[in-house]
Amino acid sequence: MEILKISNVTKKFGDFLAVDNLSMQVNEGVIFGLLGPNGAGKTTTIRMITNILFPDQGEILIMGEQINPNLKNKIGYLPEERGLYKKNKVIEQLEYFGRLKGLSQREANHRAKFWLNKVGAAGWENKKIEELSKGMAQKVQFVATVLHNPKILILDEPFSGFDPINTELIKNIILEMKANGTTIILSTHQMYQVEQLCDEILMINQGKVVLSGNLREVKKEFGTNHLVIEFTGNGDFLDNIEKSKIIDISANRVELRIEKYDEAQQILKNAVINNQITKFEIKEPPLNEIFIDIVSKSIGERNEKQ
Amino acid sequence: MILLANQSEKEMKSNKIWTIITFEFLTRVKSKGFILSTFLGPIFLIAIMVIPGIVASLSMEDTSKRIAVIDQTGEFAEKIIASDKSVFFATTKSMDELKKDLLDGSLDAFLLIPKNIENEGSATIYTQGGGGIGLIEKTENILSEIIREKRLTNAGVDKSVIDLVEKKVSINTVKVTKEGVQKDYTEFYSIFGYILGFMIYILMFSYGALVMRGVINEKANRIIEILNSSASAMEIMMGKIFGIAAVGLLQVLVWIVLILAISVLAGPIVNSVLGQTDMTSINNMNIPSATQPTPFEIPPIPLGTWIAFVFFFLAGYFLYSSLFAAIGSAVNQEEDAAQLQTPITMPLIIPILFMPAIMGNPDSPLAIILSLIPFFTPMLMTARIAATSVPFWQVTLSVVLTLLTLYFSIWVASKIYRIGILSYGKKPQFKDLLRWIKLAK
Repeated sequence: MEILKISNVTKKFGDFLAVDNLSMQVNEGVIFGLLGPNGAGKTTTIRMITNILFPDQGEILIMGEQINPNLKNKIGYLPEERGLYKKNKVIEQLEYFGRLKGLSQREANHRAKFWLNKVGAAGWENKKIEELSKGMAQKVQFVATVLHNPKILILDEPFSGFDPINTELIKNIILEMKANGTTIILSTHQMYQVEQLCDEILMINQGKVVLSGNLREVKKEFGTNHLVIEFTGNGDFLDNIEKSKIIDISANRVELRIEKYDEAQQILKNAVINNQITKFEIKEPPLNEIFIDIVSKSIGERNEKQ
Repeated sequence: MILLANQSEKEMKSNKIWTIITFEFLTRVKSKGFILSTFLGPIFLIAIMVIPGIVASLSMEDTSKRIAVIDQTGEFAEKIIASDKSVFFATTKSMDELKKDLLDGSLDAFLLIPKNIENEGSATIYTQGGGGIGLIEKTENILSEIIREKRLTNAGVDKSVIDLVEKKVSINTVKVTKEGVQKDYTEFYSIFGYILGFMIYILMFSYGALVMRGVINEKANRIIEILNSSASAMEIMMGKIFGIAAVGLLQVLVWIVLILAISVLAGPIVNSVLGQTDMTSINNMNIPSATQPTPFEIPPIPLGTWIAFVFFFLAGYFLYSSLFAAIGSAVNQEEDAAQLQTPITMPLIIPILFMPAIMGNPDSPLAIILSLIPFFTPMLMTARIAATSVPFWQVTLSVVLTLLTLYFSIWVASKIYRIGILSYGKKPQFKDLLRWIKLAK
């Protein structure tokens, strides 16, 4: 069942078309990757979902309900640009943000403490934000986003500013929330994280959907697989392969782009004649490559039009 | 997760604007700056008003300085010394000896009354240098009184006539009201009106700027997007304006209470400090004390004046702070606000320039017209209400006009604010703001 449904939404700023007839739907309980280059219209889309901006045309339904101010309490939003009141104490702001999401003062206080503890920030309650490091402030910000147990959690670059340990911590919390039924919309440029976390993805460019669906299917459909061979020997089997297919080559390692599995088998057969194979692996195409392919393709199309 | 129970519907509907108001209010009220300015503000203000008066009075009665009197006529020394024994004393030393005493510091000053004083009328005070106006003025007053009396006697004027002439004339102004005749304090009320108008100016400006800085802070620190994902732009803007209004109102009420308390207590205290010396000098100079007003009598301030002050402060604050909020929402940092602010600060400053003219004649057509212009009303109408009896229709009209303008300014501001808070990038110009007003539906 879809928890969020956007139908034919358009948003203009003056003459600039930020979102162009966009439709998408997000199923309940998934982690949904919202991808796209800078200026693609991701933030505008998110702002319309969070009821900060209002679409010029089209319809946004959350849990079957037309978007309205009351739904704001069911959404948690971590904007890309972080910010907290520098002069206020951690607990004061968390209580404030919690109350703005409809919690009572007491409930907000309880949950703030619970979450601070969970992210390893117990005892920071009475510190002012200006006394905290950037990473510490990021944790407080994350707590402010999830404090009210949102049905939909929108995270814009949630890992920026975190060291690997804290990235892991936040990632585990995201997975835990998913397991508890929270739907998560993740917008990030870190394709590695998307591959690790997302069930479904949607890529937009220039306000339009350019790619969407289940992550595995998207990869199968749009990507070409990579073949990695590590070997000792003269490497003569490479002579028969088109130069354009070779992505990376060194003394005893080669990475190739292949269309079909049969092709890989043929290369393997040729290789074993004069070389000793130490590693043979067919890799899924990295999302990174699909991203670059699709974005540069659409830039090419735009240039042709002009 | 353990704590994440379902939220009750009641809590979901808890009023967001109320949450914002309380946060804005408590954050500021708890700050050191607020506590200091609230409690020290009126003390400082009163100190500015009262201390120069006390100091001047005390210096006039400066008893630390002693003056030797050389009287070449032999007629006046006794009377002068009798007028204030703590200051004047007789001497048998010659002028040269006295000059030496001055130089070695054993004498503060001496007064030389020449033989021809009755005709030429010029005595001389020799001092170590300076000596202060108080000393000279005091001596001059006493001496001229004595000489005048002598001249009149010489001219054969009867003692009873002299007494009549000597009797000081003072003007008592009396105000006629429906309730009857009462003592008039026109001058006091003018100054009081001036002070109230000026206070409204300072309050509107500083609290308006507080709103603007708050808006800029939320935008620059990227808090606004989180707030806006929880509450509407209108709720955030009005919550902030109301919250800071509550801070201002609290401060003003504390001030009024403190001022009333101090003014009730200050009169007796100041008088008891000054009282004794005043009485002796008055008695010595044979001035009937009944004509002398008590130095620190504070006339009654009608409740209506205080109500007008609070009302127009709030109305003016809402009017200007909504516009300040709009400007704050448009810029990315405080420095950029200066240019856009000018159209708001101009109407704030203009009434201050007209204030002296208006307080000079608070019932003039100029005063009436200016005080009816909504952007000037808060300062000028309050000042006029304090200073004079403003006709009811003028007060009513000014209230209606101000409220209409207030409504309009909040409407315009909310449109600019809604778009402004999400607009980063280049510094906005005025035409951008106008475009945003049109853009916001």
